[in-house]
Amino acid sequence: MSNADAVNSMDDELARLVHACAARDRQALRQLYDLMAGQMLASMVRILKRRALAEEALQDVFVSIWQRAAQFEGGRGPARIWLMAIARHRAIDVLRSERVDLYRAADVEQMPEPAMESLGDWSSAGRSAAALARCLEELSGQQRRGIELAFVNGYSHADIARVTGEPLGTIKSWIRRGLASLRQCLER
Amino acid sequence: MKHDQPQLIDALAAEYVLGTLRGAARRRFERWQSAEWHVASRVRTWEGRLIPLALGLPPIAPSPELWERIEERIRTADAPHADTARRRAARPALRALAAVLVLCAIFAGGYVAWRMTEPLRLQTVATIKGAQGPVLWRIELDARHERLRAVALASAAARPGHSFELWALPPGKGAPVSLGVLPGAGQLERKLTVAQRAALANAAQVAVSLEPPGGSPTGAPTGPVLFVAALTRA
Repeated sequence: MSNADAVNSMDDELARLVHACAARDRQALRQLYDLMAGQMLASMVRILKRRALAEEALQDVFVSIWQRAAQFEGGRGPARIWLMAIARHRAIDVLRSERVDLYRAADVEQMPEPAMESLGDWSSAGRSAAALARCLEELSGQQRRGIELAFVNGYSHADIARVTGEPLGTIKSWIRRGLASLRQCLER
Repeated sequence: MKHDQPQLIDALAAEYVLGTLRGAARRRFERWQSAEWHVASRVRTWEGRLIPLALGLPPIAPSPELWERIEERIRTADAPHADTARRRAARPALRALAAVLVLCAIFAGGYVAWRMTEPLRLQTVATIKGAQGPVLWRIELDARHERLRAVALASAAARPGHSFELWALPPGKGAPVSLGVLPGAGQLERKLTVAQRAALANAAQVAVSLEPPGGSPTGAPTGPVLFVAALTRA
């Protein structure tokens, strides 16, 4: 079985579980939790820094999945992306309401760079993560750093300006141009 | 917010998914995407592009008691909602009834129109153009809403290896309904199906998306939405 097949069957399984949640199957939610909670928590701890805060937000995420499962439309993209999007949006919402100390180190054993070479295992729905890795490589160092600080650490434009010492306008344009180049590269 | 600026929508969707769209702008954008499918569709595209980056992080095992807390919250959340669940179950029936009523109205309206006007007198119901550019297509319907004609007015829009597809946009969150591929030059006329006529009767807008040659393979827009135009009643 190739990686791509493994990913597709994983996405099929996740989609099946989401549909089962819509039919009020609690066992299915538990299985989703077993498959996805670790990945979600990894992303949320990096944004929220404190593990306790991230775990609380992760509870909200699974309650929300339980309530919104019926809105999932399989034809519109892989289940894994849909699930992870809920987790990330929740983390960013919590950032807003909690006074998160953005500059403390996240409660992660070590803070490795996102493992780009392992992203190949997560390729999904024809838009492989390998392509994303390649396209990020094509950005200028500043654009890539801006996008990674925003996406992985949950930094706002102003936060990035503070940690890099660059003016806010410069940061906004790095990110705007970086996203535009990323889109162009991914559409090639 | 302007509804006909694909580039602005795309840029906002990208920053929303990236996480840099914050505060009131973020709330506003969330309301906008839940009201407009083409905004939501840009968000989904950007989620597909960026979220693999989050999936590449090494997982962190949650504390063992976390699942119990989730289960507890679900139990309490579900209990008082039994009522709404029943109401929700009745919704498909109501929707079907509404669809039947709409179809009856269309047939009745079509019959009256047929009695009152000459058949196949076409009337312009939408003009599709870029932000500043010339009108690219004129969309016409006959008085009975049975036939649609799309007239290409400028060939500037031609993109080799792609087709432009026309969609009827339902109000709210419903899925768009294809009205077929648009001509690159000249004109195309086609008979509308019952589903297409019902979609047009409900729609306030039409949209044009960029698709593989011959149109979307899935029945839903797969490429970027390039233009949105208001639909005026024939």
